Amino acid sequence: MNLIGLALRNLKRRPIRTSLSILGIGLAVGSALALISLSRSIKDSTRDGMDEMGDDLIVMQKGASDIFGGFIPEPTVGRIAAIPGIVRVSGELMMFAPSGPDKSIIALGWPDASYLWKKVPLREGRVPEAAERRVAVLGDTAAASLGKKPGDELELLGETFRVVGIANYTTIVNRGMVLVPLIDLQEASYRPRQITVIHVNVEHRSGRLELRHAREAIEALGNVTASTANEVLNNDRNFAILEAVSLAVSIIAVAMSALNVLNALVMATQERTREIGIFAAIGWSSTRIMMSIVIEGIMMCAIGCVLGVLLSLLSAVAFPYIPAIGNLISFKPSVGLIAPVLAAAFSLCILGSLFPAWRAVRMLPAEALRRL
Amino acid sequence: MFQVAEDGAASGASADTAPLIALCGISRIHDGGAIAALKNVDLQIEAGDLVAIVGASGSGKSSLVNLLCGIDYPSAGTVLWEGRPVRSQQGWTRLRRNSIGIVFQEFNLVATLTVLENVELALLGRGMPAAQRRTRAAAVLERVGLRLRFNHLVTKLSGGERQRVAIARAIVNEPKLLLADEPTGNLDSSSAANVTDLIFELCGKTGMTLILVTHDDALAARCARTIRIRDGAIVQNAAHAAWPAEPAATP
Repeated sequence: MNLIGLALRNLKRRPIRTSLSILGIGLAVGSALALISLSRSIKDSTRDGMDEMGDDLIVMQKGASDIFGGFIPEPTVGRIAAIPGIVRVSGELMMFAPSGPDKSIIALGWPDASYLWKKVPLREGRVPEAAERRVAVLGDTAAASLGKKPGDELELLGETFRVVGIANYTTIVNRGMVLVPLIDLQEASYRPRQITVIHVNVEHRSGRLELRHAREAIEALGNVTASTANEVLNNDRNFAILEAVSLAVSIIAVAMSALNVLNALVMATQERTREIGIFAAIGWSSTRIMMSIVIEGIMMCAIGCVLGVLLSLLSAVAFPYIPAIGNLISFKPSVGLIAPVLAAAFSLCILGSLFPAWRAVRMLPAEALRRL
Repeated sequence: MFQVAEDGAASGASADTAPLIALCGISRIHDGGAIAALKNVDLQIEAGDLVAIVGASGSGKSSLVNLLCGIDYPSAGTVLWEGRPVRSQQGWTRLRRNSIGIVFQEFNLVATLTVLENVELALLGRGMPAAQRRTRAAAVLERVGLRLRFNHLVTKLSGGERQRVAIARAIVNEPKLLLADEPTGNLDSSSAANVTDLIFELCGKTGMTLILVTHDDALAARCARTIRIRDGAIVQNAAHAAWPAEPAATP
């Protein structure tokens, strides 16, 4: 028998309370992991989608709060294309567009001559032909979710489009989009000759110097910023808000689990006041008595954390099968995400255990032994 | 007077001549002075003494015992261990871990632990290796006649057996002083006789100092000296007929 054995006995002494406390910690850790992981996954999925398009730089209106929020005059595309060292440029109008009475979809409008059309990985059908109007290519997830196939009609922004192809992108964000000719989207959204972003490829994409020169040249055109996909996402206000909310909710969840441990241990030590008096009477030091209580808290926390991680991994497996979640984001808890959440949970649980432990050893042994 | 050092620590010439434990002008008041459990008590207990503390309920016996083992603190006065004042909680903890064993009327065993584990608890406080703890606890339990009960939960034992476990726990660290606070108070007469026989036998064989708190004058008479307490003051401190019935020996 040692301090760990003693702590285990004490936890087993009140199995229901111990189980509920552990469950509380598990749910808190699981929720924190899920929330942070989800917010990161949304960002990662968007980044993956941008990477799949193969951009070196993304040009947006200067000061735009997010990728949907800025508008650039379409002629800017030609001015960027004329910059030396830039090999490919495509304008894009991007927006959430209603499709039917209760659904909306991310719609991208590309000019007829855009190189992006040539890069669409078609699963079936085709891409729009030059000057073809009111046609659309759906990502496979969007097609499945809307129940559309080539030849079907699709309502977008109150206009009718004909589905001519189904794309087979690999990233979740791109799989859920609809691609239409730029001019159609501009008309349907009342944004003639406006685009939201410009995709740019530079000649030597691995060269930092070339990239910097291209960026400086683009920004010199005025009222635009040129950024990498990472920079765009890091500056995106929507993602910043999402991450802040996730972090705040996670901190609250983990803090509540620490309070749970605190409550369980305060009650346990109160019930065992006499026992703590016995330990003191037979010569246990205050440190050893405190350790015996803190070990109980750590054990509850450790089991709760394992449960929480298992719950989050289970969510990672289950969420893709839930269309409302799986069609929009991929959920990937990683070691880099789990470690700080567990560190926070452990730190708070230790703090939560220290208080009842300190309270227990403050009492005179004679007084503790008088307690029933 | 005694040579003064902190917390009964370190050795010195005075330790050989000083009483094992001494109370100097000890008072203990509660509720801001409304209740005086002990009033200016002076007492010296020599090493090897067998002392009974007797008195009516509420006379201050338990308060005195609590102060003699440091589980309570005096409101005034000093407790000296082998001539040195013990002032800090750490000092008392160290003494209870190494030099003072306590047997309570209500056993004060840990209900969730087995007989062997309860005794081991006292050794766990010393940071002794597990195997050594187990061996030593088992040896002491054999000595108090609980060989066949090692792995029983203490809740499964009779009152007399529980008190034997408490005695084993109190002596497992080979203390210099055994404090027994009404150890037979919760036992039937047969168990009480066995337990007191055991306590006197152990003290006789080891030369351990015994302070026995009791209501029972007959039991008190088995000690070499009786201290009678009334209203928080010592009213009698008298020697009985010469002890021992058995020759003193080291274990």
